[in-house]
Amino acid sequence: MANLAAKRPLILEIKGNSLDDGPGIRSVVFFKGCPLACVWCHNPESRNPAAELAFDPPKCVDCGECRKICPDRALSRNHPEYVARSKCRLCFLCTDVCPSGALERVGRTMTAAEVLAEVLPDQPFFDVSGGGITLSGGEPTLYMDFASELLRMARRHGLHALLETCGCFDLPRFMDLLYPHLDAIYYDLKIMESAAHKAFCGLPNERIIDNFKALLTAARRDGKLLLPRTPLVPGITDGEANLRAVAAFLSGLGVNQAALLAYNPLWHEKSRKLGIDDPLKGDPAMSAFGDGARLERGRAIYREMGIDPTG
Amino acid sequence: MRRWTISNTLTHLFLRFFAANFNLRKKLNQYLKSEDGWLDFTFGLRTETGSVEQTLVFESGRVRVRATVPDPPDAMLIFKDEQALKAAAIEPPNQLMIALMQNKMVTRGNIGYLQLINFYLSLLLKPMQIAKLQKEARGERRAYDPEKAAQTAIGGRRLRQLKPAAIDPGVHFLRDPYLSDLGLDDFPRLKEFLGVHLKTKPAICHERPALLTQWFKENGFETDPDGRPHVPVLRQARAFNYLMTHKKPLIRAKDLIAGTTTTQEIGVVLYPDAHGTMIWGELLTAPFRPLNPYDVSPQTVAALHHQIFPFWLKRNFREWVRQNKGYPTCQELDERFAACFLWKTVALSHTILDYPRLLARGTGGIRADIARELAQTPPNMQEKRETLQAMTICLEGIEAYAWNLATEADRLAGVESDAARRTELMQLAQICRRVPASPCATLDEAVNALWIVWIGVHMENTNAGFSLGRLDQWLQPYFKADMERLANESEREVYIRHAVELIGCLYLRCTDHLPLIPDIGNHLFGGSSSDQAITLGGVTPQGEDAVNDMTYIFLKVTEMLGIRDPNVNARYHKEKNSRTYLQRLCEVNVNTLSTPSIHNDERVMASLAEFDYPAEHLRDWSATGCVEPTLSGRHIGHTNCMMFNMVAALEMALNNGRHPLMRWQLGPATGDVAAGAFKEFDSFFDAFGHQLQLLADLTCQYNNYLGEAHQAIRPTPFISALIQGPLDKGRDVTRGGALYNSSGTACIGLADITDALMAIKTLVFDEKKISFAALLEAVNANFADHAALLAMIKTKVPLFGSGDRQALAIANRVTKLAHDIFWQHTNYRGGRYTAGFWSMSNHVAFGTLTGALPSGRLAGKAFTPGLTPEAHASKSILSNLRDVAALDPAHLNNNIAFNVKVVPAAGERHQQTVETIAAYARAYCDLGGMQMQLNVVSSDTLRDAMAHPENYQNLMVRISGYNAYFVTLNRNMQIELIERAQFGVG
Ligand code: SF4
Ligand code: SF4
Repeated sequence: MANLAAKRPLILEIKGNSLDDGPGIRSVVFFKGCPLACVWCHNPESRNPAAELAFDPPKCVDCGECRKICPDRALSRNHPEYVARSKCRLCFLCTDVCPSGALERVGRTMTAAEVLAEVLPDQPFFDVSGGGITLSGGEPTLYMDFASELLRMARRHGLHALLETCGCFDLPRFMDLLYPHLDAIYYDLKIMESAAHKAFCGLPNERIIDNFKALLTAARRDGKLLLPRTPLVPGITDGEANLRAVAAFLSGLGVNQAALLAYNPLWHEKSRKLGIDDPLKGDPAMSAFGDGARLERGRAIYREMGIDPTG
Repeated sequence: MRRWTISNTLTHLFLRFFAANFNLRKKLNQYLKSEDGWLDFTFGLRTETGSVEQTLVFESGRVRVRATVPDPPDAMLIFKDEQALKAAAIEPPNQLMIALMQNKMVTRGNIGYLQLINFYLSLLLKPMQIAKLQKEARGERRAYDPEKAAQTAIGGRRLRQLKPAAIDPGVHFLRDPYLSDLGLDDFPRLKEFLGVHLKTKPAICHERPALLTQWFKENGFETDPDGRPHVPVLRQARAFNYLMTHKKPLIRAKDLIAGTTTTQEIGVVLYPDAHGTMIWGELLTAPFRPLNPYDVSPQTVAALHHQIFPFWLKRNFREWVRQNKGYPTCQELDERFAACFLWKTVALSHTILDYPRLLARGTGGIRADIARELAQTPPNMQEKRETLQAMTICLEGIEAYAWNLATEADRLAGVESDAARRTELMQLAQICRRVPASPCATLDEAVNALWIVWIGVHMENTNAGFSLGRLDQWLQPYFKADMERLANESEREVYIRHAVELIGCLYLRCTDHLPLIPDIGNHLFGGSSSDQAITLGGVTPQGEDAVNDMTYIFLKVTEMLGIRDPNVNARYHKEKNSRTYLQRLCEVNVNTLSTPSIHNDERVMASLAEFDYPAEHLRDWSATGCVEPTLSGRHIGHTNCMMFNMVAALEMALNNGRHPLMRWQLGPATGDVAAGAFKEFDSFFDAFGHQLQLLADLTCQYNNYLGEAHQAIRPTPFISALIQGPLDKGRDVTRGGALYNSSGTACIGLADITDALMAIKTLVFDEKKISFAALLEAVNANFADHAALLAMIKTKVPLFGSGDRQALAIANRVTKLAHDIFWQHTNYRGGRYTAGFWSMSNHVAFGTLTGALPSGRLAGKAFTPGLTPEAHASKSILSNLRDVAALDPAHLNNNIAFNVKVVPAAGERHQQTVETIAAYARAYCDLGGMQMQLNVVSSDTLRDAMAHPENYQNLMVRISGYNAYFVTLNRNMQIELIERAQFGVG
């Protein structure tokens, strides 16, 4: 997917007033497209770099306008998902006429300047809270040039900038284009065993591990925050062996702070709207919110291994 | 010509049945008589079509039924149709008043007689009416054990506390300004009083009207016993003096403050010279009504019915206007509820006395000033002489009351067995012998003087919105003096606790009285108390940081008690006040769920620029009632003179001047939408402007007429003595005697109007997606069969609060329009009208009286509170905050109420929660926001409280400007609170 690097990404959403994606009050820019394919991905709409069509049944008022306009007869009340994905050519005529927003185009084409224009009005809130802009996704590093431009513009306005990344990127380009303009990096370390990583996330993890090590050296030198994070996915990442492996890896590098993220099952619903295959649908372990006990268990392992898990 | 329709016959028979009962049953017949003779009057009934027409004639103890209505009857009800008439006959009196509000019928003539008829019906049908009310209460789960509920409420509160160091220059003594170590358990006395507050059912007290009525019967009202016309200001002064001298001097057991507003634990004060007779019809059923029931003793019923109410039937503000101005259109408009509510029918209030002068000089000192002025006033300046004399008579009255309290304290001390309490009582006796007559020397004296005067205020004038002002500023000198007298640190620690307890007692004293709210009021101003606003912080008259020790002591008390009234308002000056202070304001909100409201000091003052007030006076502003600015001690701004429904003007513009619910072609013909009268958006906006102008003209006219009624019926020389101006001007404050004069309006529906105009502009004129006529048709059909259009409006029209520039521009245009229209008007005291954008709870009541709107808001739905954006305007609270902050303060000269509902994350993230809210508040102020008020509660909690009110007795919520207990609110208001947008923090 390296060819995407020079391209303009689609922007999934710009979420204002986020309190969970870095320090203070932040605006999070979600990029569409990701090199990994985690089976539990909590933003399934961000995986595919192309625009998609979403259908949200409760919003539909059944006016029939979309069916009238669709050139491919891809929409039908008889179809169980309403949208016959195989027929749809993604022309988005239907989303233009849909009065209720039940049919929606997922992914907006925007320039970096347009993204910034949506973020900047909230700057007074960043300034009083120590917040700023967060690039997330999807995977922003798929679009190095665009992300770089956006970060440089944000910098010019004095915004604190943070990147959330899966770590799967071209390191030299990253160091050149993104790193200098970032204040903090939240870095996912999901599964330590490479084969398992490949099985659940689609790619092996050597590159992710190597990039982390290199980045750690640089971040220490430059006084930037690099926070490793591990999502607690039931039965996949939250096993004791994996958590110990992550912790051992980190403490081996002298890292003493890392985050554990409670599991959020709302992605099933998002997959459904997009007609994305969801093999884990109906798995009870994958349908409940992560409970406090699981989180505490993970934290206890981290603490035991000398890592502060509240980061 | 009348046809004897079936309904007419049935009505006739029912009235005959009514008449026969009262003629033949001695127990009922006695109620046809008052102490002063038979209650003779005629009462007509008719339907709009004339299909029914009957009259009850009361004459010399007999009731007769006539088949025609005399012209004019003393009072009459005109029903929309026969169904409305039928309902009226069998529903309890509260339902009748609600039907009146909904314009299912209209009244003519003296409304007091309608209440009297209601009372008669109630005598006849009491068992049935009570059963209905009880069923309603059970249905809404409102009947539960208040004692247990109060315990649950007090036991369930847990305060979370940060603990920063003091950095405010005005804080001299508190090392931990948040007083984080203190809790309610440290103050058993306050805990007990709080329990009383939460569990006690209020009772109607007739002491005030009984004493006054007695005085007026002996001394005359219009003329004195010799037949000479009374000078109103002198008459009121003498009556007030009599009232205060004869009022029972009561001291609540264990209290640190002497005196009570009424003779009841929690008393509802009656003002039959205002709206007091409105409770006449409910006297027998008020104890059983589901919302905010009152106890009414049989003695009270007898006194009110036989001695008091008949005397005032024609002597009140409404009836004065009806008689003297010939039932003008503006009065009819008010009595049809859908467009406005004029508070002067109840009170001329919402002001703040000159407490610093009172505390420093004492009423004795003020009397000396008056005497000096009087000596220099030539005999030909008659009004001035009379006013000054009246002021003196009033001050003597309050001194007499204080003296009586001292005697009572002595008596109680004599029979007190507990030594510590005996000492307290002896101190109270000493205090009441000195103040308020002499200058105060200690905090205890200052607080007691304040309270005694406060009782006087509410004996003279209706307890609706009188406010206490900047008590932290005015009490700090006494606190400081006391502290400086203490020898060591541990004595000072003990004294700080005493100060907290004393202020706690003051808060709970303020809960000893409630305004009279007839059941219809539960729908208009649900759950509202007197709204006695206290203002904290901000800057001093010299412009310096005003936050001091007492500021934090008041905040501690506010937090510990978590009660709805006093209504605490905090001024925050971002250049002068510390972040520690702002953070504390937010923390107290987190702990109390909804108080204090936060005002951006600079912006509120900027909004008053056009008045050109001297800077020192302007900087001394306080919030009044809900949120409105008054220049403390110098200003009669009656800042809540009317609740003004701007949406009525929009409905009239849509309907070419006709108001749909009132079925009334009231406004000018500004264009027929269906006939294509509007070619561009601006011409429709102009039509809206014309309708708004008409409504404002009428409401200002009525306010001015009612002002004249106050001058004739109830001048207020006591208040005049305690406000700057009357001494020099020699005029009562009701006649413009105060240094500054204005009248303040609450313009309701800004967000709904902006959104409706945006829908019209976007869909009809800009994008031409639909014709105006088709849109109006859908609106008139309440969007039935227009689901796609409704969906389109909801998803495609940018709203106020979304960050959309056009929506913001329209909001600013509407506020400017309202401001400019009111600014043109001059009130009867020579002052201007101001425009505020807050709503008490009338956004719910007016919402129920309004049809669907082009914004997609359905018929009967509540408007948004104050000027709060619609819940679905934006997913991000920051867009809401930014848009409201961007409103031009120049149009908001009676302040705003902006609700923000936030939900803290579960778990121990108190610090993050507080910091996030403080960041919102700070950035909002940086952006130019004027006021914000918080609800820190989730919709889920509110839903649970609706289902299990017994667990949430003290769940306090911010309505629009004031606080209320959620469980005391009517269903529509509860739903409105639940449906407000909520945003997670922490
Ligand atoms: S995107 Fe185009 S092809 Fe697909 S369903 Fe909509 S209208 Fe039909
Ligand atoms: S246009 Fe939208 S609302 Fe209408 S039927 Fe299609 S999806 Fe439903």
